[in-house]
Amino acid sequence: MQDTSWVPLWPEQASTFAWQVDVLYIYLILISIAFSIPIVVAVFVFAIKYRETEKFATPEEMHGSMVLETVWSIIPFVVSMTIFLGGAIVYFNQFNPPDDAMEIYVVGKQWMWKIQHETGQREINELHVPVGRKIKLTMTTEDALHDFFIPAFRTKADVVPGRYTYIWFEPTKPGKYHLFCAEYCGLNHSGMGGWVYVMEQRDFDNWLSGNVSGQTPVEEGRDLFTNKLGCASCHAGGPQQRGAKLEGVFNTDVKLVGGTTVKADEQYIRNSILNPTSQIVEGYQPIMPTFKGQVTEEQLNSLVAYIKSLTPGASTATSTSAPATEAGTANTAPASTTAPRKTDRGKTAAPGSNPNTPNNGSR
Amino acid sequence: MSAHTYSNKFVYHEPGLQHQFEDMGQQEESVSIGMWMFLVQEIMFFGGLFTVYLVFRSKYPMAFAAGSNHLDAFWGGLNTIVLIVSSLTMALTVYYAQISKRNMQVIMIMLTMAFGATFLGVKAIEYTDKYNHGFVPVTGWNKVVRPGAAAEHEELAENKPCYEHAHGEEHAYVNPRGEFQWTDCSLAKQALDHNYLTNAEKIGYFSNGEIDANKFRDKVRIFFWIYFVMTGLHALHMVVGLGLMTWLLWTAFKGRYNMEYYMPVEMSGLYWHFVDIVWIFLFPLLYLLGRHFLHG
Amino acid sequence: MQTQDAIAPDYTERPKLNYLNNGWTVKSWLLTKDHKRIAIMYLVTVSAFFLMGGILAASIRLELLTPASDLFESGTYNKVFTEHGILMIFFFLIPSIPAILGNFFIPIMIGAKDLALPRINLISLYIYWIGGALVLWALMQGGVDTGWTFYTPYSTTFSNTYVMAVGVGIFINGFSSILTGLNFIVTIHTMRAPGMTWFRLPLFVWAHYAVSLVMILGTPVVAITLLLVAIERFARVGIFDPSIGGDPILFQHLFWFYSHPAVYIMILPGMGVISELISNFSRKKIFGYEFIAFSSIAIAVFGFLVWGHHMFVSGQSMYAGMVFSFLTMVVAVPSAIKMFNWTATLYRGSVSYDTPMLYAIGFLGLFLIGGLTGLFLGAMGLTVHLTDTYFVVAHFHYVMVGGQVIAYLGGIHYWWPKMTGKMYSEFWGKISAMLVFVGFNLTFFPQFILGYQGMPRRYASYPEEFQVLNIFSTAGASVLGIGLLMPAVYLFHSLIYGKDAGDNPWMHPGLEWRTTSPPPTENFEVMPVVTWEAYEFGEESGLDIEGARQREAMKV
Repeated sequence: MQDTSWVPLWPEQASTFAWQVDVLYIYLILISIAFSIPIVVAVFVFAIKYRETEKFATPEEMHGSMVLETVWSIIPFVVSMTIFLGGAIVYFNQFNPPDDAMEIYVVGKQWMWKIQHETGQREINELHVPVGRKIKLTMTTEDALHDFFIPAFRTKADVVPGRYTYIWFEPTKPGKYHLFCAEYCGLNHSGMGGWVYVMEQRDFDNWLSGNVSGQTPVEEGRDLFTNKLGCASCHAGGPQQRGAKLEGVFNTDVKLVGGTTVKADEQYIRNSILNPTSQIVEGYQPIMPTFKGQVTEEQLNSLVAYIKSLTPGASTATSTSAPATEAGTANTAPASTTAPRKTDRGKTAAPGSNPNTPNNGSR
Repeated sequence: MSAHTYSNKFVYHEPGLQHQFEDMGQQEESVSIGMWMFLVQEIMFFGGLFTVYLVFRSKYPMAFAAGSNHLDAFWGGLNTIVLIVSSLTMALTVYYAQISKRNMQVIMIMLTMAFGATFLGVKAIEYTDKYNHGFVPVTGWNKVVRPGAAAEHEELAENKPCYEHAHGEEHAYVNPRGEFQWTDCSLAKQALDHNYLTNAEKIGYFSNGEIDANKFRDKVRIFFWIYFVMTGLHALHMVVGLGLMTWLLWTAFKGRYNMEYYMPVEMSGLYWHFVDIVWIFLFPLLYLLGRHFLHG
Repeated sequence: MQTQDAIAPDYTERPKLNYLNNGWTVKSWLLTKDHKRIAIMYLVTVSAFFLMGGILAASIRLELLTPASDLFESGTYNKVFTEHGILMIFFFLIPSIPAILGNFFIPIMIGAKDLALPRINLISLYIYWIGGALVLWALMQGGVDTGWTFYTPYSTTFSNTYVMAVGVGIFINGFSSILTGLNFIVTIHTMRAPGMTWFRLPLFVWAHYAVSLVMILGTPVVAITLLLVAIERFARVGIFDPSIGGDPILFQHLFWFYSHPAVYIMILPGMGVISELISNFSRKKIFGYEFIAFSSIAIAVFGFLVWGHHMFVSGQSMYAGMVFSFLTMVVAVPSAIKMFNWTATLYRGSVSYDTPMLYAIGFLGLFLIGGLTGLFLGAMGLTVHLTDTYFVVAHFHYVMVGGQVIAYLGGIHYWWPKMTGKMYSEFWGKISAMLVFVGFNLTFFPQFILGYQGMPRRYASYPEEFQVLNIFSTAGASVLGIGLLMPAVYLFHSLIYGKDAGDNPWMHPGLEWRTTSPPPTENFEVMPVVTWEAYEFGEESGLDIEGARQREAMKV
C-alpha cells in the first residue's frame, strides 16, 4: 500500500517485469555516476589546480590528441549500445502479450476509465485483478488520447481513437496501486486516475461473485444476439439462415467473396458488426445491416465474447482461474467507424473515484 | 597584427553594391546561397503537404482517384504548358540581361508575367468550376442552389445508389447550404467488385451493408482539401512571383541590369523556376490519378 | 558614418561614435540595417517573453505546492503550463542565443561589416514581433490549453481555446527563425575576412552554422503542421480526426519531425557559447577543436533521425521504436565528445573564476545530468515507465535551462562589456550564478525522483505522497527565480552606473575583442586580415598583455 508520509525512491515492484525496469534504471544510474564522477572530479581538480596565478597568463599550447578522442568516442558508443540492448530486451517483454493472458477491456474517455472483465464485471476507474495471472488489456478511447499508466507495474500505453492498443502485466504482489492517465487530455486530466487492486485468487473470486453486475459478457452477448439485436434471425441456422454460420468460426480462416482469406479474429468480428459489407463471406449476399451507432463498445465486447464462445476451445471462462485461450488479435489498420462522441466539457468531475484529491485518498 | 584595409568610403562602388559587401563577387555569391537556402526551406514546407498527401493517398486510393477524375486535366495540362513556357521566357530574360539587351529583357519579363497571369486565370476558372459543382470542402463556400430549381432531375438522383451515378451523367445540382457534395462512388464499387480496396478503405467507405455515400464523400473531401491547400499555396507563391516580376519589370525598364549586374534577374529566375517545379509535381499527383478509370 | 583615423585596437578612449549613439531617433532603430541594433531589439523582446514565461513557471510551482488543485482551477492550470511551454520554447529559447548573440557577434567574429542580408535580418525581427503579438493577443483573449505539443485530436476537436490563433502565431514566428538561419549560412560562407579560414572560425560560429541548417530544414515542417491543425479546426477536414478517416498519430510524426531537431536548435548555440567561455577563461585553445566543430554538425544531422523517441508508447510499432532508440543512442555520442573536450581544455590552463566561467562550469555539470538522463529516456524498456512523467520534465529542464539558459546567461555576461561598453558588478554576478545553480538543482532534481515514482506530468492535482518532493521543488524555484531576476537588475544598473569596460577586459584574442566596446556601426575601424589561428593566446595574437597587466595592477 502506498504510504503517504515516507517518500521512497521508486514505487513498489508489483509485476513480473517491474524488476527488469528497475534493474535497467539502476544500471543507467551507475553508468551516469561512472561518467559523472570522472568529469566532475576532473573539472574541480583542473579548475583549482590550474587556476590563474598570473593575470592574463598564457599557458603552453596543447593540441588535441587523436588517441583520447578515439577512446572517448568509442567507449560512450559501446556503453550506449549496451543501454540500447538492455532497453530493447525489456521493451520486448513489455510489449509482447503472452497467449494465455486473461483479457480485460478498457475504454478511456474524458475523464474516466471504463473497464470490463470477460466475466461481466464492469468497473469505473478501478481494476481488480488476481495475483499471479497474466493480464492483457485491450484498450481504446472514445475521444481524445489518454494513457493507461500503472507505475507499480512499470508499464503504460496510449489509447488512440479508432484503434486498439494493448498492454500486459502479471501482478506479483497483492495490494492497491495507483492508476494514472498519462497523456494530457484536457480539463480533468489530473483527475482521471484510479486504483488497481491486486488480490489473492480466492479474494478475487469472491469479489467477482459478489460483484457481478449482471451477466457475463458471454451471457450479455447471447442476449444481444438472440433477443435485442436480432442477429439470430439470420445467423441462427435453419431454413431462414441468410447469414454466415458462426459456430466454430472464431479464429479460423474464412474465405471471402473475391477470393481473399482472412482470419476470423476479434477485429474481424467487430468489423463484421460495424461494416458488414466490407468483408462478405463467400457464398453469402451483402445484406447484413450495420450496427454502427446501435452498439456501444462494451456491447461489442460482449458480442465478440459470445461469438468466441461458440467455438469450442476459445475463451468461455466464467472463472478466471482457468487459462483463457488467447485469440491472436491482429493490430489491424486504424480508422474505426465509431464516431467519437463529443463529450460535454463541463466543469463537473467525471463520475467514479478521483483518488488524486486529498479527500479521496483511499477506498 | 593586421594589414590595413581602408574603409570603402573613397573607393568606387559598383552600382547596386550593398554596403556590407567588399565587392560584387561577394554580393553575388551571398544572394545566390541565400536564394538557394530559401528554396530548400520552401521544399521542406511543401514537403509536409506532400507527406500528408502520401499518407492519405495510400489509405484511400479510390477516393483520390474519384476526386482526381473530376479535376479537368485539360486545364491542368494547359497550366503545365503555360508554366513551362513561362520558365523559358524567364530563362531568356536572364540571358538578355547577361548580354545587356534591355528591350528584350523587358519583353521577356512581360511575357513571363502574361503566362503567370494566364496560369492564375486558369486556376480561377478551375476554382469557379469547383464552386459551381459543390467541390469546395467548406460548407457555405459552394454555390447555393435551393431545391426545386431543377425538380425533374432531383427525384431521379435521390433514388439511385451512389455507385450508379455513371460518369458524365448530368444530375441536378441542389445545394441549399453550399456544402461539399459528392454523389459518385462508382470507383469504390468497382474496387470492391474487383477486390482491390485497401484495409482502410474497407472500413472507411462502408456501413450498413453498402458503400456509404457520405463516408466516401468524406474521403473525397480530404482529397479536395489537399487539392485546394496545395494548389492554393502554390498559387500564393505565384502571386508573390508576379509581384517580384512587377518589380523586376520596373527596374529592368529603367535599364538597371546588364552584363555586369544581373543577379536580381537570375535570383528572380530561380524563384520562378522553383514555383514551376512544384507545379510539375502537383499536376500528375493531383490531376492524373486513375485516368484509366475514365475510359471505362 | 564618419571617418576616423585608423587607431590601434586597444586604444582605451572610446571613440565618439559607436553603434549605440549613431543615431538617436526611433526610426533609426526601427528601420536599422545594423545587425547589432537588431540584436539589442531582440534582447529586449526576448527578455520580456522570458519574464512572462517565468511568471507562468512560478504559477505552476505555486500550484504544485499542494496536492489539490487549489490555486487554479484545473482548466486554468492547463492553460498556464501550455503557455509556459509555448512562450519559453518558441519565443525565448529558440531565438535567444542566435538572434541576440549570434546576430551581434557572427559578423564581428568573422571580420565582416554586417550580415550578408541585413534587410532580411530586420524582416526576421518584424516577423518575430508580429508572431509574438498574435500569440500574446490570443493569450489575453483566453489562451490555449492543448499543451505546447498540440496533440490531436484534443487540439483539433476537443479544445475550446484559441488554438488557431496561437498556431498561426507560431507559424509566423517560424519564419523569423528560418530567415535568421538562412542569413547565418550565407554570411558564414561568403563574408569571412581574408585569412579567416573555416578552421580558424570560433566554435561559436561553427555551432551557429549547424543550428542554421536545422532551422532551415526543420522549421517549415512545423509551420505546415500547425497550419493543418488550424485548417482542421476551422473546417473539420479529416486529416487528424479518425471518425472521418484521419490519423491522430500522423500529427505526432509531423510535429516531432521538427520538434526534436528544435531541441538541438535550442542547445547547439549554447554549446557554442560554452566553447568560447571555457577556452577563453582557461586561456587555452579548445582541446579537440575539429571534433567539437564536427560534432555540432553531426548532432544537427542525426537530430533529424530520432523524432520517434517521443512516440514510444503512442502506438508506434515495436520495430520502429527500436530503430529510433538505436539512433537516439548514436546522437548522444557527439555530445559526450564535447563534454570530454571541454573538460580537457581546463587541463594545464589558467583558469579564472569570472562570472561567465561560473556559468560555464555550471553548464558542464547540469548538461551532464541532462544529457545522461536523456539516455534513460532513450532506453526503451525504461522509457515506457518514464514517458509522460516528471522524469521527462526534469530531463528537458536540465538540458534547456541547465544547459541553454545557463549558457545564454554566461554569454550575455561575457559579451556584455563588448555590447554596452560597461562592466557589471562582478560580486552580484557571482552571487546570482551560484543562486541559479543551487536553485535550479533544488527545483529539478527532485522531479527525477517524482517521475520514477510515477507522478505524471501536466497534473494540476496529485496524490499526497508526492507532496514532499514538490515542496522541495517549489522552494528551489523561488531561489532560481531570484537568481534569474538579479541579472536583470544589475545588468541594467551597469548601463547607467557601470565602469567603462575597455575594449578587451578579458584580454582574449577573438576578433570581437579587437574592436572598440561598443563597436562602431561598421564593426571595425579597419577591416582585419587574419593571420593567426583560432584561440591564439600566445605572442602570435598581437595582444598587449603586459600593458593590460599594468593597467590591472593600477586599478584599486
